[in-house]
Amino acid sequence: MLWVDKYRPKTLDKVLVHKEVAENLKKLVTEQDCPHLLFYGPSGSGKKTLIMALLRQMFGPSSDKVKVENKTWKVEAGTRTLDIELTTLLSTHHVEMNPADAGFQDRYVVQEIIKEMAKNRPLDAKGKKGFKVLVLNEVDRLSREAQHSLRRTMEKYSSSCRLILCCNSSSKVSEAVRSRCLNVRISAPTEDEMVRVLEFIGKKEGLQLPPGFAARIAEKSNRSLRRAILLFETCRVQQYPFTNNQAIPPMDWEEYVSEIASDIMKEQSPKRLFQVRGKLYELLTNCIPPEIILKRLLYELLKKLDSELKHEVSYWAAYYEHRMRLGQKAIFHLEAFVAKFMSIYKGFLISTFG
Amino acid sequence: MKQHEKSSAGNGNAAKPKTAEKPAVAASRLDDSVKEGQESASRRKTSKYFASDKQNAKDAKEIEEFSAKRKAPMASKEIHGDVKPPPGKKVHKNEDDDNDEDFVDTTPRKVSTPSKKLKSGSGRGIARKSADVDESDEDDVIGTKSHSKPAGRGRGGKSGITAPGSRKGMVVDESDEDEPGDKESKSAKPGGRGRGGRGSSATPSGGRGRGGGGYGGFMNFGERKDPPHKGEKEIPEGAPDCLTGLTFVISGTLDSLEREDAEALIKRYGGRVTGSVSKKTNYLVCDEDIEGRKSTKAKELGTAFLTEDGLLDMIRKSNKSKTTEPQELKKPVDKVLPSSKKSTPTPASKNHVGSLSTKGAAVKGSSASVTSAKLKSQATEEAWLPWTEKYRPKVPNDIIGNQSVVKQLHDWLRSWNEQFLKTSSKNGGKKQNDSGAKKAVLLSGTPGIGKTTTAKLVSQMLGFRTIEVNASDNRGKADAKIGKGIGGSTANSIKEVISNEGLGLNMERSQHPKTVLIMDEVDGMSAGDRGGVADLIASIKISSIPIICICNDRYSQKLKSLVNYCLLLSFRKPTKQQMAKRLLHVANAEGLQVNEIALEELAERVNGDMRMALNHLQYMSLSMSVIKYDDIRQRLQSSSKDEDISPFVAVDKLFGFNAGKLRMDERFDLSMSDPDLVPLLVQENYINYRPSSAGKDDNGLKRMSLLARAAESIANGDIMNVQIRRYQQWQLSQASSLSSCIIPASLLHGQRETLEQGERNFNRFGGWLGKNSTMGKNYRLLEDMHVHLLASRESYLGRSTLRLDYLTLLSKQLTHPVRVLPKDEAVEKVVNFMDSYSISQEDFDTILEISKFKGHPSPMDGVQPAVKAALTKAYKIGTDSRKIRTADMVTVQKRDGSSSHVIKTADMVPGTKKALKKRVAAMLEPVEESLAEENGDALEENEKNSSDAEDLEDSDNTDKGLQADLQSLKSKGIEVQLNLKGSENSSAKKGSSARGKRSSEPAEKKGGGRGSGSASKRKR
Repeated sequence: MLWVDKYRPKTLDKVLVHKEVAENLKKLVTEQDCPHLLFYGPSGSGKKTLIMALLRQMFGPSSDKVKVENKTWKVEAGTRTLDIELTTLLSTHHVEMNPADAGFQDRYVVQEIIKEMAKNRPLDAKGKKGFKVLVLNEVDRLSREAQHSLRRTMEKYSSSCRLILCCNSSSKVSEAVRSRCLNVRISAPTEDEMVRVLEFIGKKEGLQLPPGFAARIAEKSNRSLRRAILLFETCRVQQYPFTNNQAIPPMDWEEYVSEIASDIMKEQSPKRLFQVRGKLYELLTNCIPPEIILKRLLYELLKKLDSELKHEVSYWAAYYEHRMRLGQKAIFHLEAFVAKFMSIYKGFLISTFG
Repeated sequence: MKQHEKSSAGNGNAAKPKTAEKPAVAASRLDDSVKEGQESASRRKTSKYFASDKQNAKDAKEIEEFSAKRKAPMASKEIHGDVKPPPGKKVHKNEDDDNDEDFVDTTPRKVSTPSKKLKSGSGRGIARKSADVDESDEDDVIGTKSHSKPAGRGRGGKSGITAPGSRKGMVVDESDEDEPGDKESKSAKPGGRGRGGRGSSATPSGGRGRGGGGYGGFMNFGERKDPPHKGEKEIPEGAPDCLTGLTFVISGTLDSLEREDAEALIKRYGGRVTGSVSKKTNYLVCDEDIEGRKSTKAKELGTAFLTEDGLLDMIRKSNKSKTTEPQELKKPVDKVLPSSKKSTPTPASKNHVGSLSTKGAAVKGSSASVTSAKLKSQATEEAWLPWTEKYRPKVPNDIIGNQSVVKQLHDWLRSWNEQFLKTSSKNGGKKQNDSGAKKAVLLSGTPGIGKTTTAKLVSQMLGFRTIEVNASDNRGKADAKIGKGIGGSTANSIKEVISNEGLGLNMERSQHPKTVLIMDEVDGMSAGDRGGVADLIASIKISSIPIICICNDRYSQKLKSLVNYCLLLSFRKPTKQQMAKRLLHVANAEGLQVNEIALEELAERVNGDMRMALNHLQYMSLSMSVIKYDDIRQRLQSSSKDEDISPFVAVDKLFGFNAGKLRMDERFDLSMSDPDLVPLLVQENYINYRPSSAGKDDNGLKRMSLLARAAESIANGDIMNVQIRRYQQWQLSQASSLSSCIIPASLLHGQRETLEQGERNFNRFGGWLGKNSTMGKNYRLLEDMHVHLLASRESYLGRSTLRLDYLTLLSKQLTHPVRVLPKDEAVEKVVNFMDSYSISQEDFDTILEISKFKGHPSPMDGVQPAVKAALTKAYKIGTDSRKIRTADMVTVQKRDGSSSHVIKTADMVPGTKKALKKRVAAMLEPVEESLAEENGDALEENEKNSSDAEDLEDSDNTDKGLQADLQSLKSKGIEVQLNLKGSENSSAKKGSSARGKRSSEPAEKKGGGRGSGSASKRKR
């Protein structure tokens, strides 16, 4: 079992970071009146952990008894019938799903499936809790239409159902939805906190941590606790006992993106653009979300870039990221960004160095 | 009744211009009488109601000129009123009205030039009269248009082709061309003719001007330089065919003419333009000696050089040197003929007219009207035989080109019987192994080059009886039940035909001639013809008669299997010379005057499609009898054959070196030829082009910024595409193809270069499709793994988290021990890890696949095969116990119909009981789903086993949560059956079967309603 999962706090009491949030959530539950909740914050900050702990707090251990359903819903949409495949996790008290996985059909997921689930009262006969909980992940990926239909559902079935939404960026959740929820911001843990967690794990696992090693991992992990722990374990797998200057292996795809970045920096030519396209395709087919690629690519480029150009390049990255979300074929936009960068950078090189 | 009269009017009228066609012969007197006769004839025809009225008008005219002038239009109007087409032909009516107005307009013009007319006339107010004649005449044409179809089509077609704006002009032209036509016959008056002449040439030159503007106007980068004095010189009028017999080669940039224009100019006057200098070349046209290959060769051969001015002079001189007379005669004749052709669409009526024209004209006029009714019925029999049928080759030698193919087919067919029948009757077709001996033949080639004709002719020649089955017949798989084919379906009758010995060669026994089956358009076998191709193949195998299959695209996916059973013969497009020769033959037979250059042009335009060429020719023959180069060029310029442009060709053209010369509409046509594929091809290949617009670009900066612009434009196209597809904003499709194809192409068109070593310099197929489907597949695999991980209940991670954060560690956990630790230890460790996360072997592969990047070593590289094998084995051993953990595997098991396994295995692993229960809980839902589909027999199982299960009730299990789950499920009964099934198989392991039992009660109760209950929760 991976450490990330092994040392995941199961209850609100055991939470190591975001203790205040956990306290507040606990109070919320004991008061019996739970509003809709929106958890937002960067990945690896502990949203999901808090949500699971919260559910456990609400419903007791039975909320752990989850079954996985991966089924196809038949949704009547006008004249045609759509088949939507969706994976849900459900226990007696809650249902968790990721409606954005349905792609551009997410609207129907919200309109039909979620509504249906929200409508049904839990069949718990003794039922202290008069409602069930719907956990929706990645609501920021939901299309506008889906979010609009969501807000109606939130109001209409609020007596029987509570929604817990979870997303990275609250800015991509529509105002209307946000205002119907209690927003809980989960910030990324500070490096100190992460070091503490890592040391805690190290102690539990009985590992010898060289001084500063945890800090290095924390730094590398980009303030994502999950990644820090994963990295920690990767290091453990790779080499133990730890040495002081042990290299911390990067994520496979990050490594690849940084290769692309250095390719771009080295040469700006149609030929190189063509090669970069091949590499971008490689990333995309390996299921790396294009937004992440673009973000990482920009990050890598900025590291190597002359400060004069940083602003402009960032501008274009944002420009193309926006367009990528409007469009469908991510590679076109990624390539457009690369071409743009090459053109800018080449112009810069020539004007500077002749 | 009325209609009848109208059509007779048409015929009568048709006769009239014919007379004008032989102006030299006809004396002026005669001509007059013709007119008169005609006039009266036409009056008579046009309306019997107005006959007297009109007659009055005419009388009045003769008495007082002015009133006549006024009345003439009126009369014509009245006629129109009368002539109104039957209801339901509104369009025609409108047209009528239009023309009506045109007429009113034209009359004053004619009147305003009375001097000319008077001169040409032979006294007695003929000027007016001729005007009058013209009008009534035109009226008739119009009248006929709405009734007698052929005439109407000819006319309508004409006005349809000319732009709306020029329509009026057309009508005017025509009316006054008729007129000079009549006059010229008597006195060649240059003035009047000049007008007509110019009118006729106005359109083409106008068109050319527009074309030139198009070239120059929009994004004309690079390529051959524009002529320095473009459009500054006046293009002279030359005598027709003044360059006949001369061959030109054009080299370099000319002074004022675009090369295309220069070619057109030469061809218009009958000259031939070739690409390279040879002995036959008469002139090399060039303005600057660029020492190119052409000029060197020309010098070698001593070919005369000719500057552009020289060429123009040559044309100009020809005009002067020859007397104006013949031309003048010719032109009006050209123009007259169209109208005559218009109304003489059928050979029969034409013959009739022809024969009549030898007689007196006066007779003609009347007789035309008299006999026309009779003729009409006669005409219809032969009339609508299209030329394509009429001039279908009658003997194989008539077939244009492809003679070798014809011969091959001939040989094949001739030897067929010996080759297959005799042997097959004797020793089961041993000879079939003979290389090249195929029982069927597959003719392929573009449409209209004579495949069907060839097949028929060859069979005919060899005395075969042909049975043709084409796309209009149902060619689906023969119904097996009907068996040896007594059924009505064509497929069965085919079977019957091919299997029937009687139809075979056995001449002694049967009087039947030999038979050959022609399967036409086999690539058109589509959804309706289910199993058609497979059946055809089967037929070929057993066939006792030769089968000729015909298709357009041999490489079609549908025909892949068929190709193996057939002798492949592909038809090539005939050369334009070959086609022109044949076309000329047809044209002569039809009495059309066409020169060979024009026909070559036609042949080129239709892209080798003989059938289309003939259709065009026939169509044009309706409106004109002398077809010149310009006519063809003009007609086909816009509507050159709507050939299927493959996306590759389209992209080639868009990005080609000369793409800057394309007009905007051409670009749209190209990019719209396949609005899905072309943008993908553009996106794939735009990087490869070295833009000619960048010019000298040492450091590649310009090209890079052009690339960036193009890439952005392509991305724009993608955004629009989303709008189109997702929100049905189809009005954006033009904008989308503009930004996704045309803008990138116009920015980057130029020379293509390769970017990779060893790459062929052709456009690649769009990579996006393939990559996208790989991506889809990988996402699916990832999702599978995700579900497994979720089912292990160790983690609640999301899919992207799994990919981004977990995957590196997972692959490390799975592969690192194998590389580092000793074999057994490693295997154990890995398998344990996989078990704890419910990672299946497939997931293992998925992890490796997804985390692999090109150019990076796979983590499994260098691992001993033995270790891998051991790993697999170790995993396999645990498989039984593992299945339960990989919860969603149930869906797979369901497919096997072995869903019981799930529970069974659970039972068989007592040691892991506790963990199992939890996992079973995770399983329940899927299991239930799976059963929904097979509940039929499952139900029986259930009943059988229920008693068995009851005994085991006591052994309770601890899983309350599970029970709660069960209770809450509508269709819980189903999963109980599973347990029972499992218990049966596994000799009733207590715990689980008891569990099954408990919920089996509701199951039994619910037995009936289960179907519906579970249907709502159906799993995939």
